[in-house]
Amino acid sequence: MSLALHDYELDADCYTVRLLLSILGITAEKIAVDVHPGHEQRSPTYLALNPRGSLPILVDGDLVLAEAEAILCYLARSEPAGGAFLPEEAAQFGQVVSWLFFVRGPLGAATAARLTAMLEAPGDPEALERQARAAFRVMEDHMTTRHLSGATWFVGDRPTLADIALFPPIALSRDFGIDHDEYPALRRWMRRMRTIPGFITMPGIPDYH
Amino acid sequence: MSLAEGWYAVAVADDIEPGTSAGTRLFDQELVVWRDLAGVSHVWEDRCPHRGMRLSFGFVRGNHIACLYHGWAYDTAGQCRAIPAHPDLAVPETIKVATYHAAEAAGLIFVHSALGAEAPPPPAPVPSGRALRSLYVDLPLRSVAAELSKGFTRQDDGSYAGTLAGVPVLIFLQPFTASRTALHLVLAGPGDAVAVSAAGEALRNSFEAAPHSVLEAAE
Repeated sequence: MSLALHDYELDADCYTVRLLLSILGITAEKIAVDVHPGHEQRSPTYLALNPRGSLPILVDGDLVLAEAEAILCYLARSEPAGGAFLPEEAAQFGQVVSWLFFVRGPLGAATAARLTAMLEAPGDPEALERQARAAFRVMEDHMTTRHLSGATWFVGDRPTLADIALFPPIALSRDFGIDHDEYPALRRWMRRMRTIPGFITMPGIPDYH
Repeated sequence: MSLAEGWYAVAVADDIEPGTSAGTRLFDQELVVWRDLAGVSHVWEDRCPHRGMRLSFGFVRGNHIACLYHGWAYDTAGQCRAIPAHPDLAVPETIKVATYHAAEAAGLIFVHSALGAEAPPPPAPVPSGRALRSLYVDLPLRSVAAELSKGFTRQDDGSYAGTLAGVPVLIFLQPFTASRTALHLVLAGPGDAVAVSAAGEALRNSFEAAPHSVLEAAE
């Protein structure tokens, strides 16, 4: 089986997939897409591959899969090492999926704010920052409670897809002007993320910490 | 409003783990709070003298904190000791970060707001107190103080005493920016930490939802 990831180095969603691939120790062919300034992901060639015009895109044989969270779920089922990242147990499964929807819902403001700040995407920076801070507060309160309860990760007692998918937006928040000053519980959790074997960074996330 | 000179809580001590740093603000002044590997906490101006980069973005190695940009490394007195691009250079003593007086009490890290000056003894709140968490409120200090005064009693050390979820607590206020305030919660008696934490979140949310707060915040 050979995997191919259509990828853009500066894209947070692509990083989410690269992060899981690295942690699972999976090698995938990475095909660089000229998102900025070329908008190649919306070229006729790419729209034929993925009509949504989005990245990342994972190609596994005949399967073409878009949306980072869907790709995470697929890898958690298709890869032997991936299973533990998407718990079978019903309550934990539901909690992980709930956080994945949170990434695409309320936390989507953080991704949009970064694209507006860095890649001149359209958007209201002040409104996006306000929405992103509200989402980060939800995460901070959750991880404060988890810490006071003796837990380290967002769900259960080991890293899951929730941790993988939630990490990039907050780790990259300085790109759109939100520091980590107000998030002590998330700072602690982000340091724990760095201890996962196979952890990698991307531009905007320091190698050192 | 200006900042009254004195000691201010800036972090829960346990939240600044050995070998780590974090940024914070005292009435808009950027500070770095960091803990060396010997366990001693430090509060400095959050600015590398080289290019002005926030030192809180940098990294702690042993008893030095290094800037993320070019690795300039500072000892626990704020003195620059190493410049990686010039490994043989005897670093001039003039390259020094401005340092504040810092102290730990009741599981909190306090900083004295007067940069470099002689500081009075730090506050000594309930020795048995256990710091719980920090909460950040999108309101200026005086709005938070006005809300707190409805159910809490102001102490001589500036903290507010009351109960959350039936547990006695002390709340120390940090004027974060002109429009944001940090609340540092200390448990002053035995109780359920998670329940008190949740009650603290509810308190924060009620402050922000209070209608008069909007007017004060706009001032």
